[in-house]
Amino acid sequence: MATLARLSDVTYWYPGRGQPALRDVSLEIGPAEVILVVGSSGSGKSTLLRCLNGLVPHFHGGTLAGRVEVDGKDTRTSHTHELAHAVGLVFQDPESQSVMTTVEREIAFGLENRGVTSAAISRLVEEALILLGLSHLRHASLATLSGGELQKVALASVVATQPQLLLLDEPTSQLDPVSSEELLAAIRRLSEDTGSTIMLAEHRTERCLHLVTRVLYMNDGVLVADADPQRFADWALDGHRGLLPPVARLFARRARGHSADADDPGLPMTVKDAHRLLVAHEDPKPRHRPATSQGSPGGIALEARKLAIGYDPDEPLLEGLSFSLARGEAVALMGENGVGKSTLVRHFIGLARPLAGKVMLLGRDVGELTVAAAARDCAVMGQNPNDLFVKDTVAEEIAFTLDALGITGEQRASLTAGIVAELDLAALLQRNPRDLSGGERTRVALAATVCADPTMVVLDEPTRGMDALHKAELAASVRRWVAAGRCVVLVTHDVEFAASVVERVIVLGDRGLLADGPAADVLDGSLFFSTQINRLLRRALPGVLREDEIEWAGGDS
Amino acid sequence: MPTFRTAAVERRASPKRRSEASRRGLARRRPAAIVAYVGALTLAALILINPLQVTLLLALCLAVLIVAGRGRAAWPYLKTALYIGGFLAIVNPLISRSGATVLWQLQLGPFHVPITIQGVAYGVATALRIIAVITAFALFNLVLDPDDQLGLMSRLSFRTGLVISLACRLLPVFSRDAARISNAQRARGVELDAGRRRARVAARVPLLAALLAQSLERAVDVAASMEARGFGARDRSHWSHERRWRLADLVTTAAALLAAAALLGGLFAGAFSYNFYPLLDDPWSQLASLWWVLAFAALVVPALWSLPWRRSPG
Repeated sequence: MATLARLSDVTYWYPGRGQPALRDVSLEIGPAEVILVVGSSGSGKSTLLRCLNGLVPHFHGGTLAGRVEVDGKDTRTSHTHELAHAVGLVFQDPESQSVMTTVEREIAFGLENRGVTSAAISRLVEEALILLGLSHLRHASLATLSGGELQKVALASVVATQPQLLLLDEPTSQLDPVSSEELLAAIRRLSEDTGSTIMLAEHRTERCLHLVTRVLYMNDGVLVADADPQRFADWALDGHRGLLPPVARLFARRARGHSADADDPGLPMTVKDAHRLLVAHEDPKPRHRPATSQGSPGGIALEARKLAIGYDPDEPLLEGLSFSLARGEAVALMGENGVGKSTLVRHFIGLARPLAGKVMLLGRDVGELTVAAAARDCAVMGQNPNDLFVKDTVAEEIAFTLDALGITGEQRASLTAGIVAELDLAALLQRNPRDLSGGERTRVALAATVCADPTMVVLDEPTRGMDALHKAELAASVRRWVAAGRCVVLVTHDVEFAASVVERVIVLGDRGLLADGPAADVLDGSLFFSTQINRLLRRALPGVLREDEIEWAGGDS
Repeated sequence: MPTFRTAAVERRASPKRRSEASRRGLARRRPAAIVAYVGALTLAALILINPLQVTLLLALCLAVLIVAGRGRAAWPYLKTALYIGGFLAIVNPLISRSGATVLWQLQLGPFHVPITIQGVAYGVATALRIIAVITAFALFNLVLDPDDQLGLMSRLSFRTGLVISLACRLLPVFSRDAARISNAQRARGVELDAGRRRARVAARVPLLAALLAQSLERAVDVAASMEARGFGARDRSHWSHERRWRLADLVTTAAALLAAAALLGGLFAGAFSYNFYPLLDDPWSQLASLWWVLAFAALVVPALWSLPWRRSPG
């Protein structure tokens, strides 16, 4: 197999950092491979990709030991724009990678940089538009596109240059599930149609493990595992189950009486694979494991009464919303992108005013409260933790919130000590929040949001771009808050995460509530807002959502 | 059990996106034709003095803006133009002493200020010229999208054009960042909107750090993305194939050049001179001037060609 790229004993330090971001990484990449790179935040996934297109070290500086060769060129001596002929990179944030203002022009930018003739650019732009299904948006201004469309434009811009190696750095982390699925489908089509090598860094393995031919697992800058998906799944069973899709985790617990033969199909990665396994090997059967209840909700924390929200009274985003949220319950608020979920939660503390109806927070009309007064009882954390950070240290961030809410004296000291202990922040108190890793930043943002012990906590897309470990930590915090009698609202697209922590789901649709009820009822049988386990077992075991709700007849292996 | 209600879940198309997808009026022309036409309009606004001619020119500029579907977007420009024009229209009669026909005597403290018809007319005409120039500028900015501006400018200075394009691209993002950061702070109880203006400004100062940090991070990401896409190579090409030259583009460009020639010819021939002081010249007499008729007709033709009910693809 010809080698497209080779890393030999690569160690890399970012400028001013004592610890290397990559340690002794050696790797060979061949043509027509589809490679998934997994690992926690800060494990070196992005750095590995940036090594392959020369941004490391040419753009980021720092110290590079070892050798990186791409398409026969040493990246140390070849500049990034020379490597751009062979390597294309799509970044995480769709907002931060576009340069021009219209779709066509954006796609043409990379081709112009390569000196392609005007006639050839016209043809390649047209083909990229068709390939990514963007023809209808060719003249659209990038400012009017959704995140998913913008990310597809970024992909089209790179695809148009026909790179041999296409690198995708968590391209779906900022996208809702629909947009993510569209993008991943486009990537799959691309690999099948063009035969390019695709290298994809991604946290949510259930979305893409079945698409790839090879998996790399990075931990603390070290390439720990490098295997095909089945061998990777077998390896992950020993201490890294969180990296596997729920159906793989479920079947990993099944007694594999049939697995000794050479035809063992291995662990399933998709619902389809799992169905096949269930049909081929009927025993043992899955059955519902009695779950422990989280307890019953308490008094009403927030009530929406005939609420209409939006920006135009003639065309409200949502109207006729009536629901109540209780203390001691966790609720997921779901719905397609742009339906008004984030706008709705802004009404909980008066950040937006309703077009009609009212919101009652602990029995008081939010319309008659200041935002600060409402924020004392209902903490709302937005999608980007960085939006909160205005101080130089973590301790100052917590103090800033308590100051703003007018909390002083012993209560302040006790609340500070409580939140620092709860979120394990003692070692970070004197650090600048912006210097912390992604998971640490989220913990600090949570601390700055909930430090005043509010009755309600609202988290808007808290798991966006979050790895499995940090999700588990967040889930544990949510469960503690609910047990302590708080009402927790999660605005989320992450169905698997929601199913793991909430008992109630509200689905918003065009102009109002589509569904409101227990998670097991709302998510069961849903076409889209459903978990992998539910899609697999909804007929045999209706209402089952999570892998830990299932046990195998005869006991787990 | 959950309660379900049928609802059409359908993504609403943004009105802005719709207008971007289907260019109208002058926006359908090639960038070079737009530049030529807007250049001719600007030249006319700078050369013409006669209040009637300037009024007709301003009406033409506004009509072209509206036909291109940019009337609402032009309002901020027009508001600025009205402020500046209004200021000139008010101040000129107060300071002008050359008019012969006194309308009334204004008593400003110890000063007697004679307000003359000629002073008022000159103020109004100057205001109209300023408004026409700003409207032409608005036309250029709103009808010619930044990428087309970049395309034209890249032939002179690509880097300058790129900076303009990036600014156009990132300013709305920057504005959204600012709104998001403000809301995040309000949600933690920070009072940003209470008190006098000074207190409100002081409360927002810490937010600048967050905004600056995010903007710098974004700028670094954009720079990395540009480099990863081959920016910086020496043999850069320029894509100019997106809209072919059509008859309408040729007509617009030719008409603009003809108008410019007529305007300059009339200027040198003295056909556009107009005296406000001490007495107003007859504004109607110049409307029959051949130079004016030629220039204005040449400016009107491309506007008529752009009308929406024309079925021509051009």
